[in-house]
Amino acid sequence: MTALESTSPSLAATSPAFTFSASTFQKLHPTEFFRKFASQGVRPDGRLLNAFRPTTVHYGVITTANGSAMVRIGGTTVVCGVKAEVAEPKLHTPDHGYFVPNVDLSPICSGAFRPGPPSAQAQVVSESIDRVLKESKVLDLKDLCIEEGKAVWALWVDVVCVSYDGNIYDAALTAVMAALANVRIRKPTYDEGVVKVSGAEDMNDDNSFKLKLARTPLSATFALFDTSLTVLADPNDSEESICDGSISVTLDEHGQLCAVSKVGAGSSSQSLLKQCIDRTRERATELRAIMSQQQQ
Amino acid sequence: MSRLDRTRTSAHQLRPFFSSQNLLNRADGSAQFDFGGSSVLCSVVGPAEVKIRQEKLDKATIEVIARPLVGLPGVADKARERSIQETLEPLILSSLHPRTLVQIVVQTMKDDGCILSTAFNATILALLDAGIPLQSILGSVTCMIDSETNEILLDPTTEELARSKSTHVFVFDNKTSIAGSANKDQAKDQDQDQDSLEGAILYSDSTGIFTENEYFECAHAGFKAAQAVHGFIRTAVQKKLEKEYQQTQA
Repeated sequence: MTALESTSPSLAATSPAFTFSASTFQKLHPTEFFRKFASQGVRPDGRLLNAFRPTTVHYGVITTANGSAMVRIGGTTVVCGVKAEVAEPKLHTPDHGYFVPNVDLSPICSGAFRPGPPSAQAQVVSESIDRVLKESKVLDLKDLCIEEGKAVWALWVDVVCVSYDGNIYDAALTAVMAALANVRIRKPTYDEGVVKVSGAEDMNDDNSFKLKLARTPLSATFALFDTSLTVLADPNDSEESICDGSISVTLDEHGQLCAVSKVGAGSSSQSLLKQCIDRTRERATELRAIMSQQQQ
Repeated sequence: MSRLDRTRTSAHQLRPFFSSQNLLNRADGSAQFDFGGSSVLCSVVGPAEVKIRQEKLDKATIEVIARPLVGLPGVADKARERSIQETLEPLILSSLHPRTLVQIVVQTMKDDGCILSTAFNATILALLDAGIPLQSILGSVTCMIDSETNEILLDPTTEELARSKSTHVFVFDNKTSIAGSANKDQAKDQDQDQDSLEGAILYSDSTGIFTENEYFECAHAGFKAAQAVHGFIRTAVQKKLEKEYQQTQA
């Protein structure tokens, strides 16, 4: 708040008739309010422009699911559950299982969302996660085959947002990857058209298996503020609402890129993108440390 | 060096462009754009009356509706709508028409890869046809990296995309390219410097597995190809205006 207080006397001096408190100013002119902070290199919540919010990852939060995880990035909380179901394979891929990621942004997480069919934003996030997992071949779908042409595993990967405060893509992707790493499925037996999955005893390495993940893509999102394209790492809800564009970079653990997207705002130079990729490398390393710390 | 697409000889060759403007009677502007076997028809209505829910007090609301080749629109079409809408928002001078709606409908007519790029190019032609004030013109190109040869292929077909390691869609506006071409004569030997300057990216969407270098190489190749698209759009508009002028004279 120090940045604003230092500027408010000059504001009062130029227009004494229109003085109001900082919170009123924020409501009336959110962009101008933010610009005053950004020009000083900080953000209203006290972070530096390239700082991410504190992040936590918890595994196995839903005991009835095959794998689950809860991820918090600042005020954004998402829970991801993976349920494995025996299903018939698709006709053109008889030996491939399949997974269906779905992101749910219900009114429970923010007043901005309406009940009913999934909003455009939820669909766009689901689609990006689906594309990252498929195009960078995270899972070998043949691992999910039980009996060719007869039965495969279908993984329902459901992400529910519990509290929405911006940057849903990073939170959702981290939750999906953590939940997939947490998955344990009972080994099935196939016998003359009947798939049997025992359910009584506790799961151990003999009667169940874990998913083999070829890589773990993790992402970092940056919002682009103003025509000057000031880069804001990990934007929260109020920052997202005043920014026109964003850059998302997704990296795997070997430093290979899995996805890069730049949407909205004006044209940005390639050096800006390079800068974002470099920052993502640092962030992904931090995030992987958080994830592996929790796993033990 | 040979491509799966036998009609082309080099990796950086684009398929033949085709465009046609003012095809639809009842829309304010419309255009079709083809990249070889991929074709998209786009219509623009606006500035028109806006629903109160969507109304913006200081600028026009831009709505994009993407329709697939067959069946009902799915999640992928929603993502495409979002991409086009968010890219056009800074491009259209929407503050000139506050409290109105600009509705853009993008209909896939033929699909042989690169539909998003084709849609971007069709949209900009339709906006020009509708006379919507724009800040700049965009041009879009898709490229991919072949999983077997590691070569960058521009404007791939569906058949080629099946073998891709990664795919990259780029959109460049013509503001950066105008600056580039004006300096071309004086600065031929400064090509290296220009390489770093050129190609401010308006929209980029890449998926697959690729390195940072590969990404920027693709951006570079895409930028060069986008110049051809810009040139084509310019000629298309010029031809259309000439024809209209002749008709008014006759």
